[in-house]
Formats: sequence, C-alpha cells, structure tokens
Amino acid sequence: MNAFQFSDLISFSSLMSTLGTATIVILAGLGCLMTEKAGMMNIGLDGIITGSGFVAAVVSWAADSWALGLLAALATGLILGLFYGVMVIRLKSDEFVIGVTLNMFLIALSTFLYRSLPAEANGLHVTEGTGMPIPKISLSMGSSNPINISILVPVALILVAVCQVFLYRTRHGFWLRAAGEHPESLQSVGRSPAKMKYMASLACGAFCGMAGAYLLNYVDGFSEGFSASRGYIAVACVIFGRSNPLLVTLAALFFGLVDTVGQRLQVFGVVDSNLTAAFPYAGTILMMIVLAVYNKARKPKRKAETAEAVK
Amino acid sequence: MKWKERGIYLLSLLISIVLGLGVGALLMLATGHDPIEGYTAMVNGALGSKWDADTILKNSELGNTLYRSTLLIITGLATAVASDAGLFNVGGQGQMCLGALVGAYLGAELTTILPFTAGWPVWLLIVVCFLAATLAGAIYALIPALMKVRLNISEVVSTILLNSVALTFCTYMSNGPLKAQGKGTQTAAILKDLEFTRFFKPSNLSQAVFIAAGMALVVWYLMSRTTFGYEMRMAGRNSRFAKFSGLKASTLAVTGMVISGALCGALGMLEVFGWKHRYAVDLSTDFYWDGMLVAMIMRYKPLGIILMSFFFGILKSGAIRMQSSTGISPELIQVIQAIIIFFMAAEQGMILRFRTWRARRHPQHEEVISA
Repeated sequence: MNAFQFSDLISFSSLMSTLGTATIVILAGLGCLMTEKAGMMNIGLDGIITGSGFVAAVVSWAADSWALGLLAALATGLILGLFYGVMVIRLKSDEFVIGVTLNMFLIALSTFLYRSLPAEANGLHVTEGTGMPIPKISLSMGSSNPINISILVPVALILVAVCQVFLYRTRHGFWLRAAGEHPESLQSVGRSPAKMKYMASLACGAFCGMAGAYLLNYVDGFSEGFSASRGYIAVACVIFGRSNPLLVTLAALFFGLVDTVGQRLQVFGVVDSNLTAAFPYAGTILMMIVLAVYNKARKPKRKAETAEAVK
Repeated sequence: MKWKERGIYLLSLLISIVLGLGVGALLMLATGHDPIEGYTAMVNGALGSKWDADTILKNSELGNTLYRSTLLIITGLATAVASDAGLFNVGGQGQMCLGALVGAYLGAELTTILPFTAGWPVWLLIVVCFLAATLAGAIYALIPALMKVRLNISEVVSTILLNSVALTFCTYMSNGPLKAQGKGTQTAAILKDLEFTRFFKPSNLSQAVFIAAGMALVVWYLMSRTTFGYEMRMAGRNSRFAKFSGLKASTLAVTGMVISGALCGALGMLEVFGWKHRYAVDLSTDFYWDGMLVAMIMRYKPLGIILMSFFFGILKSGAIRMQSSTGISPELIQVIQAIIIFFMAAEQGMILRFRTWRARRHPQHEEVISA
C-alpha cells in the first residue's frame, strides 16, 4: 500500500469522487428545498430515495433497460410526492411526522418486498446483468486515467441551474416562494397556494426519484436501507444553504469532500474504517454549527429573537 | 364534548389498526403467503401455549412479548417527553447505543479502574453503572437540544446525524480500544454478579423490567401529574404564550430532551445488564423507531403509549415466529405501524373536511366546527 500523501486528496479523481457522492445529496437537496420554499419541509427524502431506488432496481432487472428503470424511479417519486402533498396540504397532517413516517414506511416496505422477491432476482445487488447501469461518460484530465461518471451527474448540475433560474427568475418560481412566505398575498392575486405547494411536492418526489436511480447505480445495486441517511444529510444541506440551490449545492459538495477524504484516509490505513464512516455525519453537524454561529455573530440584532425562538 | 372527542379518537384508532392489519394481509397475499396463517403464527408466537399456573413461568413467548413491550414503553415515553417539550427526539438510537456502551464498559471494568469500588455491594455498582449510562444518554441529547435553542438548528436533522455518529463510534470502540480478547466486535462481558436474573427462560425478560416499569411510572407521573410536566407541555405547544406566562420555554425544551436522552441511555444499560451482558454490534437498538411510532400513534399520551405498547409488543415478538414458520419478513410490522400512523395523521383532516361538508349541507350543525 502506498504511503499516504495529502496530494492524493486534491487529485482529479478525488474531485470526481466528491462530485459522485455529492450528486445524490444535490438531487435530494433540490427536492427538499423546493418544498421548503413552498413552506413545508419534506424530510421524507430517505424513504423516497430508497423506495424509488427499489422500484428502479426491480423494473430495470425485469425489463433489462436502464431507461425504464429511471422512468420507473421518477414515477415512483412523483407518486410519493403526491402522497406527501395530499397528507400535508389537503389533510393538514404534521409535516415532520409524515416525513419521518414516510422514511420508516418505505425503508421497511422495500426491505420486506426485497426479501420476498423470487430467488433469481437476488442478483439485484450486483450491477452485472440487472440492466441498470446508466450510461457513463468518460472524462480524462491530463495524465490521469480517464474516470467514468454517470450521465446523471452533469444532469444534476444542470438541474441546479434550472432550479436557480426557476425560483428567482420566473413567475411560477415567484409564486412558489410566495406560497411559502406569504400564502395570503398569493391568494389575493388569484393564485392558489395549495397548487404551488403540490407542484413543489411533486418536484421533490421527482428529484428524489432521480436520486434513488442514481444511488442504485452509484452503489452497484439495491440493499436494505441503502440510502444510509443521505436524505437527512440533504436536509441538513438545505438548512444551511438557506434553501438557495447554489448554496445547497456547495454544501452538498462539502459533504462529498468529507466523504471522499474519509474514504481516502481509510484506503491508506491512517484512520480506522469504523471511524471514517462517521466522517460525513460528524462533518455535516460541525458544518451546521459553524455556519449557525457565524450567522449569529453577523446578525447581532436578530440574536435575541433566535435565542428565544424554541420552535 | 370531551368524551365525544375521545370516542371519535378511539374509534378512528380502531379503524386505523384494522386498516393497517388489512394492508398487512394484502401484502402477505401479494407476496404469496396466507394472511390467516401469518397472523395465527404471529399470535401464537407472541402469547405461547403455556398458560397454566405451574407452567406459565416457562412461557418464554410471553416473556419475550413482555420484554418487547417494555422496550416500546420506555422508547415511546422518551419520544413523548421530548415532544411534549416541543422537540422531536429522533436520536434515541444513538443515545441508547452510548448508554449501552458506557454501561457495558463500567460493568466490566469499574472495579478495575476504580479499585476502591471493589468492596462495594452489588446494588451500588449497578446504580453507578445505571447513572453513568443515564448521564451518557442525557449528554448526547443535550447537544442537539442546545443546538436547537441556541443556534436554531433543526433537532430532527441533528439527532438523526448524531445517531449515525454514535453507532459508528460504538462499533469502533467495540472493535478497537474496548474489544474483548479473541472475540468478534464486542466488549468484555460484565461481572457475573452484576447480571440481572432472567425469568420466563429462555426469553430476554429479566429483572430489568422492574426498573423499566419504575422509570415508566416516574415519567408518567412527571408528565401528567406535576406542574413541571404541565409547564413543559405548555411551553412545547406555544412557546410565545409560555414566555408571556413567565416560563423559560428554551430551558424547558432542553430539559425535556435531556430526560428523553437519559431514558434512552438507561434503557441501553438495562439491555446490556439484562440480556447481552456486553456491548456487541448486534445489540438491537433500532427498536427506538418502533417506540417512536407508538408514541406518534398515541399522540404522545403517556397512558396510551403504555397500553398500545403491549399491542405492538405482541406484533413485534410474534413477527419472529411468523418469519420462522411462514417466511414472512418481520419488516411487515413496521409497515403496518407506519400505515396506522398515516391513517391517524390523516384522521383529523378527514374529520374536519367531513364536518365542513356536513355544515354546508345542514347548517344546523354549524356550531360543531366552531366548537
């Protein structure tokens, strides 16, 4: 095994690996920030990712086509987004309760169904022959070996720009934000806040569906609870990216970097693998604290308000 | 009116449970199992067959059901205490893990690292371990609570992430610094004298159940019979109102969360002393989620949680038999639980819609909405 060098951490392959893990969080984060902007934060991302990832695995295995798998994941995401919307908007349930329950429900359901699959479908946990490999594009930079990344990675980055433009440069984006910030005024100009909220909820489902398909591809197949709290990391990124698509993406990239550093340190045997597994989670928490302290120091006027506000 | 509300609540709870079990049956059918066979295996596996006066103490199925119910009661109450104070503790799993690790470590090493404790009576050693584990859980819950009230960082997210940190940390400790010689990923066994006596052998039920019952009683009393519990609930429901009533909402919220974490930490230690006798990675702490679901179903009412825990204790413990005899995966129970929550969560919205609809058609019912 090679000696550990810090230059290994800033190589082109590290960069790509960072982007690779961050893409899941970016996609899920985009979905979450849409609902946050519309005034109801969906924290059921993990469940939607796992559920749509499972459907993608089954469909792509049965149909032997990655495109159908991706479509199935998107459709599952949309259905779950609609379900969340109906529960929270129409039936006025608590958004956190629904989000947390959605996570547990879908993770348990997909595990249950996964175990009930016929024996020949057990190949779902390996990529070979399942039909799911999403086409990859090959990138090379100078002398380093070409690195393959999924086409969903550039798609995710384009979607970030699309979301940014949509939210801040279009009428619908304006209405969507108004539905969260001031639903009454949106109503007074004859627009339905509920409609915008449904739109956000559906978008969240679709984004998480795509994240599920990507994750399936990224970790080489479905396994029980395979989203590994990445959905919650996305929620954390949305919180300190203040729901701005670009800032959320930066936060997600930071998460990807921490994850990559952890993996690299593990490869070189510097730190025990059981400890590096905690890196992304601990890093995310530290990042939240640092940012919150920074924001608090910057706005001394609002200090009293924040300290008092428990809810 | 209050009784009418309660009646509606109980009725919808019953309907939700029936619907949840119905969906469970459909899932069994869909995966090629016989639902009647599945549920029969579940009930048999949960209640056992030995019910005579002289054999009941050998009814290990019943013992396991009681054991499961205890776990659900404590975790459910832990969720409820925090929720009453206005915070959502999703991090019970991590708090429980740390409590178990601390308990296991002290149970094995206390007399070695602190030689003067060697002469202490057994009960005192147990109390020390119990308090240490409680403290570990409490401190681990204090972090997200402070993050919430001081920095306004969502406790749902931070507790979930802290779960993963605690789990990996405990795995690291039991595979590294605290690893038992020549064993897998586990710490050394606690001293023989400290182990709790087990009943209904070979079930997992032990003397720990009495401590857990005591904890449940204290929490129930605290939450529903004291001024402190009332203040906490008030602060949790409406922090601004609490502020104007001269209460410190943030302090109460932190206290609620710390009590919740302490309960989880203590439960982790009880798990170690009553059953595993060491910290091992297969020490199941994920039942915190089940307890949380029970608390949500019962809307964080202590008495309701205690009663409902027995029902879900039967489902959970029967699920193991169901799997061994029919091959149905035990995750089905979590699916059923989640469906019940969905129905219960939608219930209020549905009732409201129904009343609006009825009031529109029959205006004489108008007062029902305003009431």
